[in-house]
Amino acid sequence: MQGLHMVGVRHAYGKTQVLNDISLTVPAGELVCLLGPSGCGKTTLLRIAAGMERLQTGSVTIDEVIVAAPNVQLPPEERQIGFMFQDYALFPHLTVFENVAFGLFRQDRQTARARALEVLEQVGMTQHAEKHPHLLSGGQQQRVALARALAPKPRLVLLDEPFAGLDTTMRARVRQQTLSVLKQTSVATLMVTHDPREAMYMADRIKVMGENGQILQSGRPQDIYYNPAEEYVARLFGPMNMIEGVAQDGSLASSFGPLAVGDAGNGQAVRVLIRSEGLILSHGGEQPGGTPVDVLSAHLLGDSSLVGFRVREGINSGAEFQARIPGAFDLTGRGQTWAHVDPAQVFPYPQKQ
Amino acid sequence: MVEITRSFEIEVEAIDADHRQLVEIINEITQAIDDGRAGECADLVPNFVEFSQQHFAREEALLTKHAYPLAEKHRQHHVGLTDKMKNIQALSERAADSQPAADALRKELVFILMDDVINEDLAFKSFLMKAEARDTSGDDAGS
Repeated sequence: MQGLHMVGVRHAYGKTQVLNDISLTVPAGELVCLLGPSGCGKTTLLRIAAGMERLQTGSVTIDEVIVAAPNVQLPPEERQIGFMFQDYALFPHLTVFENVAFGLFRQDRQTARARALEVLEQVGMTQHAEKHPHLLSGGQQQRVALARALAPKPRLVLLDEPFAGLDTTMRARVRQQTLSVLKQTSVATLMVTHDPREAMYMADRIKVMGENGQILQSGRPQDIYYNPAEEYVARLFGPMNMIEGVAQDGSLASSFGPLAVGDAGNGQAVRVLIRSEGLILSHGGEQPGGTPVDVLSAHLLGDSSLVGFRVREGINSGAEFQARIPGAFDLTGRGQTWAHVDPAQVFPYPQKQ
Repeated sequence: MVEITRSFEIEVEAIDADHRQLVEIINEITQAIDDGRAGECADLVPNFVEFSQQHFAREEALLTKHAYPLAEKHRQHHVGLTDKMKNIQALSERAADSQPAADALRKELVFILMDDVINEDLAFKSFLMKAEARDTSGDDAGS
């Protein structure tokens, strides 16, 4: 199959095991994100795919060519891989055009020139071809880095936190352009990021890595977000509201009404996590299914607001929660404020007995 | 078209044969999408789901027979694929009217087979190869 295939990769630095039996497939034309915190081993896995780190156990196959196995270790330059890193790594003494043409030394001059101009056109940087990198913005430099990575028509592209050095506005624009160009080229892409929203935007499939060097969950962005297999994965997307208690008849009693507890048995301790966007606020008279709350704070973040509140009644009376609501929160809203729970944003985790 | 190439082989014939059959079903679905017959996906995808369940049962029986130490973990992994199977069934029902749904279906089928099914099976490749080889040599010695 065309693309990247890594099987049973284990890796240790001294006695510290950083990768623990990792397998993954990136079909040609697809983008897979390794998502996890610093130190989880994701960059090591990328470096093993690239050939910059010697494989210890397992195998790496690119387009059905074994590039790393116990007795095989192809050097990076023979793997036909394009790289794009956070720091761009452009040669400062070369122009944009020369940077992009740098990896085309095996081609005759005319062919290399045509190809370099072709990819510069693809990333929208033709007009800057004669400039040196220091004259470009961070976003433009990153587009040049992408052009340089794609110029030799690689079989695999590796992206290591590629947008981390860009400001918020530029990051959104550059990642949209990068994704669009990668999809046009139909190349297999493996990207490393610690930013869950970036992974959600870019990936066809996300592989969440835990601190133990294992893949904790694989799936589409919506699988990871709406069906997090464990607490660790759920918490990747930001602070969660938490209610703990004991399961009874398939649910946990709460001020918000009964919350589903999955397969937790009667009497089993269970922890329920609720995303801040899973708490919905409204004003007015008594609202069926809602619980009255006192608003404690409201912070406008731009497209949404974080609203802190305290529950007034029921089993969770006095407990504080945080809701994320679209737009600004109307502190002058008339009448009582009520909180409801969106069941799709509630994740129960039975606790071990 | 998807194909089971060398790096995806478990080298235990019963399991590789199942994987090849799953590939055939996926290629049939993909062909239907490419030929503008996406309406057939709703009939074809249940074949994939049903055969996957049969494959999981055969595999679990084999792992139990050979006392694979992580057999229960693997069984749990199969259970964990239920939601993904539901998703591809839902996509298959929308594929006729929605190109994005058809594209998502094609993509997800490949990921489920190659990443969720075969890659996970590769974890017990060497264990099962050795166990099956022991069985075969035991049979030979007895005959």
